[in-house]
Amino acid sequence: MSVPAAQVGTNAALNGRAAVALRRVLGPDYRMGYLFVTPIFFFVLSLIAYPFCYAIYLSFTHKLVGLPPVFVGFENYIRLAWDGFFQRAVVNSFVFTFGSVGFKLVLGVVMALVLTAPIRWRSFWTGVLLIPWVAPTVVSALNFLWIFDGSLGVLNYLLVRVFHLLPQGVGWLSEPGTAMASVVAVNIWRGFPFFGISFLAGMKAIPAELYEAAAVDGASTLQRFRHVTLPGLRNIMIIVVLLSTIWTFNDFQIVYILTKGGPGGTTMVMPVLTYETAFGAQRLGEAIAVALYLLPALAVTIMVLARYMRKGRKR
Amino acid sequence: MDRRLTDLADQLAAGLIARREFLRKATVITGGTAAGLGVLNTMAHAQGPKLRVWLFKSYVTAGNDILARQVEDWAKERKVQIEFDWATFGDREQKFVAAIEAGNPPDIAEMNYQGPMRYRPALRDVTKLAKDLAAARGGLLPFAERVVQTGGQYFGIARLVFGGGLHVRKDLIAEKGLKMPKVYDPDVIEVAKKTQDPSKDLWGFGQTLNRSDDGNGFLQNILWDWGGGTWDKEGKPALATTYLKENTAALQFAVDTIQKHKIQPPGVMGWTDVHNNEAFMAGKLVMTNNGASLYYAMGAKKHPLFDKTQVILTPGGPAGSFVASNPYNWGLFKASKHAELCDDLVRWVEDEKHFEEYMKACSGQAGPVYKSRAEHPYWKTDPNFQGMLQNILRGVWIGYPGPSTPAAIEVQAQYILCDMGGRVVTAGLSIDAALKEAHKRVEDIYRIRSRG
Repeated sequence: MSVPAAQVGTNAALNGRAAVALRRVLGPDYRMGYLFVTPIFFFVLSLIAYPFCYAIYLSFTHKLVGLPPVFVGFENYIRLAWDGFFQRAVVNSFVFTFGSVGFKLVLGVVMALVLTAPIRWRSFWTGVLLIPWVAPTVVSALNFLWIFDGSLGVLNYLLVRVFHLLPQGVGWLSEPGTAMASVVAVNIWRGFPFFGISFLAGMKAIPAELYEAAAVDGASTLQRFRHVTLPGLRNIMIIVVLLSTIWTFNDFQIVYILTKGGPGGTTMVMPVLTYETAFGAQRLGEAIAVALYLLPALAVTIMVLARYMRKGRKR
Repeated sequence: MDRRLTDLADQLAAGLIARREFLRKATVITGGTAAGLGVLNTMAHAQGPKLRVWLFKSYVTAGNDILARQVEDWAKERKVQIEFDWATFGDREQKFVAAIEAGNPPDIAEMNYQGPMRYRPALRDVTKLAKDLAAARGGLLPFAERVVQTGGQYFGIARLVFGGGLHVRKDLIAEKGLKMPKVYDPDVIEVAKKTQDPSKDLWGFGQTLNRSDDGNGFLQNILWDWGGGTWDKEGKPALATTYLKENTAALQFAVDTIQKHKIQPPGVMGWTDVHNNEAFMAGKLVMTNNGASLYYAMGAKKHPLFDKTQVILTPGGPAGSFVASNPYNWGLFKASKHAELCDDLVRWVEDEKHFEEYMKACSGQAGPVYKSRAEHPYWKTDPNFQGMLQNILRGVWIGYPGPSTPAAIEVQAQYILCDMGGRVVTAGLSIDAALKEAHKRVEDIYRIRSRG
């Protein structure tokens, strides 16, 4: 069928106008832009969105290794809710996380204050204090495994043989009172430099004039810290605490290497329980349910902290 | 990234070439690389089939080296390429789970006793090969038969079982004029009390109940020793039902070694599988249960305690002396495209001449799973090997006195018995409460695994 020349011209003009409009809305290189973005979009979809959705689906199934999943609805979640070991793991996770983060916060502030003070070899001390953060966690945890060893560990050796502070060695990782404290201590040791270095950066951003003005007004050191330093660090503190809470909650290596969640589940935390359920029990659906159980709680924590930060900014 | 691509990107950024030209040249480069890889792949295929072999890296390093060399010799002879991978105590099951779930298992792998039950859906039925090998070697020992075979079908080809026993400082026992212990109560308790000296950090007995293979093995053994067990004859949970009385006495004994008799070192409840080896070699223990790797390590290092150590039968209890003999075995995976080569490789490494070479390097760790291998003169070359051999020969399987089942394997893998002991020692639970708590977990596993 032939098309009149006038109509061809009208269509071309319309197409041209549409292209211009599209360019105006989407940008001059929108075709190339989409071309470049599309692979990333599919990359994210296939490597993040799909596995996450599939994991959620698997948590509703009875999935054994090498066998197809069988849908069981909320059975895994309900069973876990009544499982004593899971309940203890939840409590332990909170004790481990908030115990660690609280101490890391205090030590981080102390570290930052010390490193802003006029001390000799400040750069050297900054480097030294960063070692726990820089060293691979596995290496640190293996070292602490040896340090805490009841028979051959250096800690008991020092306390009993060198300083004669104790008549007999302590089973640091084998007694309920000390096992959790020991794994928390290692997490604190590993994590506080991150707090310290972040606060240090934050403190350097606080204008010196504020301190001078406070000093002129007769504020003591403590008052300057309370009314100048702390408010200046507020946002950084929230971000650091938020990040550390997430990282500590998901910390697997320290607990697994030091105690594997033992003795008797005393130090069992959620990531270790997830791992044990997946690779020990080899019940993959249930393992994912363990991992996803606290996702809403973590999400709420993050949302509350984020809202708090936004409020702070508005003020 | 390919350097040519990086250069192109730099040129684009510097405005030297147009975006269109960048895309055209990048396409040519990536296409050329892909074609090159394809050619390389074809060349690799021309060199013969490739077999992915997973071996187990045990603490007996001499044995590991010999097995790897034997596999390489076979590959050279058959003109096959081998891609080795090693699994350790710490990552073996994780690797299997990941590979099977990804649909990419090896062609052949050295598995432990858990393999045939747990990975059955991915394993090839090897009944004919297993029966052929067993028939030529006088048949399988009973515990090995139970582990690799279910319902008349074989899903693993038994290879060896770790020898071991109670490692005892014979110099300290002789010093006090004592006899080697035969039962835990009272022999081990008495010997431990009379030989230990806590002021010098020397402890009579080193046996953790913590989450570890050592803890699992000890607790499982003593339940049997006291006439109890985790499973009844039908393979149903029996911890706090059928055998409640016996298990109560057994668990009480285990806890008493720490709390009442105080013959175990501080920190023993935090031990993993290596701690007792280290403590024994550091001269801090009089007795400890362990596999032959401890004896091997002392011999290989020419350790001063090597000559002062005797490996004896694992002590027993009122109902007898039981140990779990858990055989290692070859798993041949369904997904392999080289089934015949896998069969051939198994025949090669299980050939008696090759196995003998391996066994002799393993210092008692390569215990027999076939009847004829138990009669090999090697086992008479060292008095300590006799203890290890007799331990193996009287061994039972996980699940005893019932069948070996996926549920029985999972109870071991989840360290339920260790948690049971740990809950009494560290959380202050009563023996009865700990048994009931563990029983409930075992019932859960039984119910879930019964679904298939």
